[in-house]
Amino acid sequence: MLPFTGPVYFSLLASYNADLWPAQIFAYGLAIVALAMACRPFPGSGRAVSALLAASWIAIGLAFHLDRFAGITFAAPAYGALFILQGLLFLWTGTARGAFRIGLRSDTTGLAGLALAIYALTLYPLAAWLQGHGWPMTPLVGLSGAPTTIFTIGLLLLGRGRIPYHLLAIPVLWSLIAGAHAAVLGIAEDIALPLAGLGGLAFAFRRNLAARRAERRARQTG
Amino acid sequence: MQNTETTLDRRAMLASMGAFALGGLRCAPAMAAPLHMRTVPATGEALPAIGMGSWITFNVGEDPALRAERAKVLEAFFARGGTLIDSSPMYGSSEAVIGHCLDALDRPPAFAATKVWTWLTMNGPDQMETSRGLWGVDRFDLMQIHNLVSWEGHLETLREDKAEGRIRYIGVTTSHGRRHDELEAIMESEAIDFVQLTYNVTDRAAEERLLPLAADRGIAVIVNRPFRGGGLFDALERTPLPGWADEIDAANWAQIFLKFIVSHPAVTCAIPATSRVDHMHENMGALTGALPDAGLRRRMIRDIEAL
Repeated sequence: MLPFTGPVYFSLLASYNADLWPAQIFAYGLAIVALAMACRPFPGSGRAVSALLAASWIAIGLAFHLDRFAGITFAAPAYGALFILQGLLFLWTGTARGAFRIGLRSDTTGLAGLALAIYALTLYPLAAWLQGHGWPMTPLVGLSGAPTTIFTIGLLLLGRGRIPYHLLAIPVLWSLIAGAHAAVLGIAEDIALPLAGLGGLAFAFRRNLAARRAERRARQTG
Repeated sequence: MQNTETTLDRRAMLASMGAFALGGLRCAPAMAAPLHMRTVPATGEALPAIGMGSWITFNVGEDPALRAERAKVLEAFFARGGTLIDSSPMYGSSEAVIGHCLDALDRPPAFAATKVWTWLTMNGPDQMETSRGLWGVDRFDLMQIHNLVSWEGHLETLREDKAEGRIRYIGVTTSHGRRHDELEAIMESEAIDFVQLTYNVTDRAAEERLLPLAADRGIAVIVNRPFRGGGLFDALERTPLPGWADEIDAANWAQIFLKFIVSHPAVTCAIPATSRVDHMHENMGALTGALPDAGLRRRMIRDIEAL
């Protein structure tokens, strides 16, 4: 049972969006840049995309969960900590160590990742608007948890080689938590969240299994 | 538990008449109808048998329009003779919104009840101080230990607070029928004034040991989740009222559910929560008119379970 209702949540979101405006344009622009870097990779693009995703997760943890959401739900500090931790994981794994390499591949996983990222940028806000959650109540990539989670899962599926499970863990967990919230509050546009999370996990498992087999074959033939 | 009746004071009665004139509400009270009152065993203080909870309903954040709506709900509560308002730091912005509404209505709460809810006993005093600030009160009438969280430590703090006049009564709460064994042990061994627990026409586990024990030990009982979190309405909203509803002057299901609860001799007060003025009037309608006797209570259980 959540301690707030749907109208209260969207009232909070409207106030959050209005106060941050026009930061959404900047965040949205950076998300498009991140997707472009994934589709047209260059040396260091994985580090740059990781830094952008880290900034987004940390910003949502601080500005939304800890500053706003904490006003209406006691669980928000834990949510904020999860988002900040995810940002730090991106900074450490992707930006500092360069262990997340990105680049669109035309396999099923890559195409699913591209579809999720484009969905988060375009169809998600459209679905929200159709559900009566037009601006300023619309959750947007970069500064709101749900679309950023879908976008992040999409970009992780655009990774080359193995997809780091520890970078996927919190987005998948959040997709389930927020999906449960959405089910209780009747937020139809967020029904895609758990599908994106569990689907993303399945695609990552498939990719990593294939990568492991390829590595084994390479060792045997080498 | 001693049951008494009282009538609406002049201010409340005028407000009720205003509500009736403006809304033509079918559940507006018979004018000057006696209210069902219960006494707090520890002091003999009289309380109306219906109070107001605030879980979810008053957690509206900073939204000025939603806050104004809740002020109207609270105004209706006072107008119909309500006094006890219950909240908790766990309920998000509810305490802040209650404080805002009281300020907007320019009246202090007649009986302010909240809770201490922190695992760390040392944080309890600061949390209660914050609650006093949010409500805009110098002291709480009732401070309860929320869901038995760190109850041993908080109980010591509350005893000191009671001795120094920061609270008048000490209580312990549980909900959803959880931890009844532990609550029973506390009721048997500790000097507390109130317990809060879940009891309604379908969740009646408290009848077995807790309610008789409360009566024996002179502990007032506040009942939460009187509508099972709205589940009773979901199950019965399309069902016509049973024939015996007229026998207890119940005009709607809310009054049936509430009259079942407050007719238990050990119950002091039920605390339904609502975000709507019309529902507040429906709830407060249970404060007047006939209550079911033991025979009708058994029939209510049988009939409602059959539905």
